[in-house]
Amino acid sequence: MKQDIDQVMNLAQQAVDIAIQAGADEVEVFGLTGRSVHVDIQKDKIDLARESFAAGLGIKAIVSGAVGFSSTNDPSGIRDSALLAVGSAKVRNSDPDWSGLPVRSDYCIAKGIFDPGIDNMDIDACIDLSMMMIDGAQSVKDTIPISGKFTCSSFSYGILNSNGVEVQEDSTRVDGFFDCRAGEGNDLSTAFEFDISRSLDIDFFHIGHEAASEAFKSIGGVSIDSSEMDVLLKPNAIADILESTFCPSISAENIQKERSALIGKLENQIGVEELDIIDDGLMENGIGSSRCDDEGVPSKCNRIIENGVLKTYLYDTYTAGKAKVESTGSAARDNYAQTTSIDVCNLKIEYPASDIVAETNKGVIIDSVIGAHTANPISGDFSVEARNSFLIENGEITSPVKSMMISGNMFDLLQNIIGVGRDDRVLGNIITPTLKISGLKVIG
Amino acid sequence: MNNHTDFHDVRILRNSGLSIFIDNGEIEEISNNCTQGIACRVLVNGSWGFASSDHISDTGGVLSSAVRLASRTHARSPRPDIELAAVDPPVIQDLPLIEKDPGEVSIEEKVELLLEIYKRAKIPDVSSASVIYSESVTEEEYKNSEGVETQYSLVRCGFAVTAVASRNGVFQMGRESRFDVCGFELFDRHDPLELGHKAGTTAVDLLSANLPKGGRMPVILDQELAGVFIHEAVGHAAEADHVIEGNSILTGKVGSQIATPCINVMDDPTMHGFGYYPHDDEGVGSVPTEIIKDGILTSYLHSRETATLLPGTGRPGHARSQGLSRPVIRMSNTYIENGDSNLDEMLLEINNAIYLIGSRGGQVNPGEGVFQFNAERGFMVEDGKLTTPLRDVSLSGHTLDILTNIKLVGNDMKMNSGRCGKAGQLVPVTDGSPHILVSEATVGGSG
Repeated sequence: MKQDIDQVMNLAQQAVDIAIQAGADEVEVFGLTGRSVHVDIQKDKIDLARESFAAGLGIKAIVSGAVGFSSTNDPSGIRDSALLAVGSAKVRNSDPDWSGLPVRSDYCIAKGIFDPGIDNMDIDACIDLSMMMIDGAQSVKDTIPISGKFTCSSFSYGILNSNGVEVQEDSTRVDGFFDCRAGEGNDLSTAFEFDISRSLDIDFFHIGHEAASEAFKSIGGVSIDSSEMDVLLKPNAIADILESTFCPSISAENIQKERSALIGKLENQIGVEELDIIDDGLMENGIGSSRCDDEGVPSKCNRIIENGVLKTYLYDTYTAGKAKVESTGSAARDNYAQTTSIDVCNLKIEYPASDIVAETNKGVIIDSVIGAHTANPISGDFSVEARNSFLIENGEITSPVKSMMISGNMFDLLQNIIGVGRDDRVLGNIITPTLKISGLKVIG
Repeated sequence: MNNHTDFHDVRILRNSGLSIFIDNGEIEEISNNCTQGIACRVLVNGSWGFASSDHISDTGGVLSSAVRLASRTHARSPRPDIELAAVDPPVIQDLPLIEKDPGEVSIEEKVELLLEIYKRAKIPDVSSASVIYSESVTEEEYKNSEGVETQYSLVRCGFAVTAVASRNGVFQMGRESRFDVCGFELFDRHDPLELGHKAGTTAVDLLSANLPKGGRMPVILDQELAGVFIHEAVGHAAEADHVIEGNSILTGKVGSQIATPCINVMDDPTMHGFGYYPHDDEGVGSVPTEIIKDGILTSYLHSRETATLLPGTGRPGHARSQGLSRPVIRMSNTYIENGDSNLDEMLLEINNAIYLIGSRGGQVNPGEGVFQFNAERGFMVEDGKLTTPLRDVSLSGHTLDILTNIKLVGNDMKMNSGRCGKAGQLVPVTDGSPHILVSEATVGGSG
């Protein structure tokens, strides 16, 4: 059974009291409970079904502006954990830039992030949805399923701090992934499809079907010569590149520590004029939506790029205090065992859509890339292998391309967008259509 | 409910750890972590059920959840029975000795050392530098329905230093890291101050390096990048789960010549590196596995399940999990064995080539055998000499092409530690190699 979050928050209150008695000026406790079900698919059969339960606390203690952190999932270890957090804070010298933990606020409701159907989903229902992916893949002739994964999870978190913040929220998510192959030997090609949502509105048959179709279409690729050309980066490809380059560069922490190429670029034109990029922590049904960030600051919609102009960085409470601005509500944590860091909530790329394939005389379209995490997160330079890419000739997608690298720079890319498709996709915390980039280097 | 199982096992984990993060000369974070949990795996008529919980007292609840999952899976998606490969009970021996218990070193002493490493990295033109330190103690208890019952404890310790240099809007990074299954003696074995300095100078040197012109050319890979190649491109393709899924270029190739005869590749969990384990997470004692011998593929890496499904292709002992996750076939300490060449000889062998050094990571599609790696830096090779320094240089290609294009193998093998990701889980590994010369590969770059 998933543990009751109220029980966890009772322990959290004890942790706050113990840390204050031990000499902490301020204390924050983040509590989390959750249940997840995973179904692993191997070929066309279910390989393993898994259920896991988690419950734990992360304690942040502040002494003279210095932060100490400790986490535990052992209810009998709360006292030791709280004392370790205070002890760790005392090792550090005071930090004059510390401006305090967040104070009590009113929160807007984040809509569409909890589906009661997922909260108590039975294993039989999870198996049924997993098998729909297999059915989808098998509906495409001459393809073979490789593997797949179904996950659904239900989480409750609570944040309690000594400045009066007291907030709880429940959320759910479900995702499906499927990988297929087609062809043999040197002509073997593989492709994957993926979808994620807060509620049970995913078409699981479609996930399997798309993976298999894409694998089939990619058989028999042609080689191409190295050149610069129009490149259409589909949502998977562009989201991967943005996550490894753009997202770290708009973090106020990286700005303040001189690890971002966007230092001093506020109010500068950094993208094409039609480009807007927003990060909306309250987006309805958003994978990154919640009433507050992971420090308890109310979520909001931040306009990062407006008409190509950089309008703001993303701040947590500490970096906002240092820069003397308001927090953008961008403190994030993966679980209770980690402190917060700055991250995007729902980063959305907006640009006037058109029929970008039909408008392309000669180019390539790329479904996904391999190696985006090896990009230089500061300079924005990337050099990645393209997967499931196709030639575009006279406005039509023609032959698959066998093997190809693309090299470029993310900041140049923002200046070279010449169109976007009508195919907005939600890829976790990034929502984007296909982007058409002029003059990107392709290495055959 | 029918409680019959064909096999079940239980793991109980207790983990405690400390990490210290120094950023721009200040303690950014001191973080303590103490967690425990239980994971049960059961096999019912060919279907696996798995359950885990943060409450170690709840053995009964977790076991019955796992049985239910396996039974329901079998009812809805039946598979043929699985016969797990027979294995001897593991004998825990030769655990790495801990000379200096990290818990006995004061936090003040650790912080002082890290600040000193930071100072060595912060040379002129370095705009920002950070040092991260971590130590952990993991205790694992393992029991299964065949009567195996063991427990062991491992101490891990390590640090990484990153320097960022900037000049006229150009940003470059240098990074050095050392992680091992050992105690605080790690800092006696490696000179951390020298490594801090090296991270700083790498970042600064890269500021004036050139961007490479992409294309096909001969390359020399240093020990670190060649180690990443053998791990990513060959090791993953040798994992038997990929083979069974038909998602490996090495499917059906055991016994075939897949590389030049000068190549020998091992995966050795008994080696006292960061990837060490005394037995794997399904209770199989660790043994070294020879993946390639004289260029011939000799073994895949197996679990007890896959060793039965693909008989004659290697032994089990490679099922590992991150924390309470399910065991998955993984590597440990993977390397290309020493050959008889050296870097000087390689430089004289080729012209208009690139020497690639270090790694910023890589990724591979094991089914198509396509990989992409990013080197930390490189040099042009002209007339037997290293000439123009290069940055943001990457390598891609087909695994089998590279293996057959390796012409020379050096005699200077070195191992590097890191964490390898698969199936959403990270496990500690090392990989290594001597220098290798490849007659043709695709180099990516925007110069």
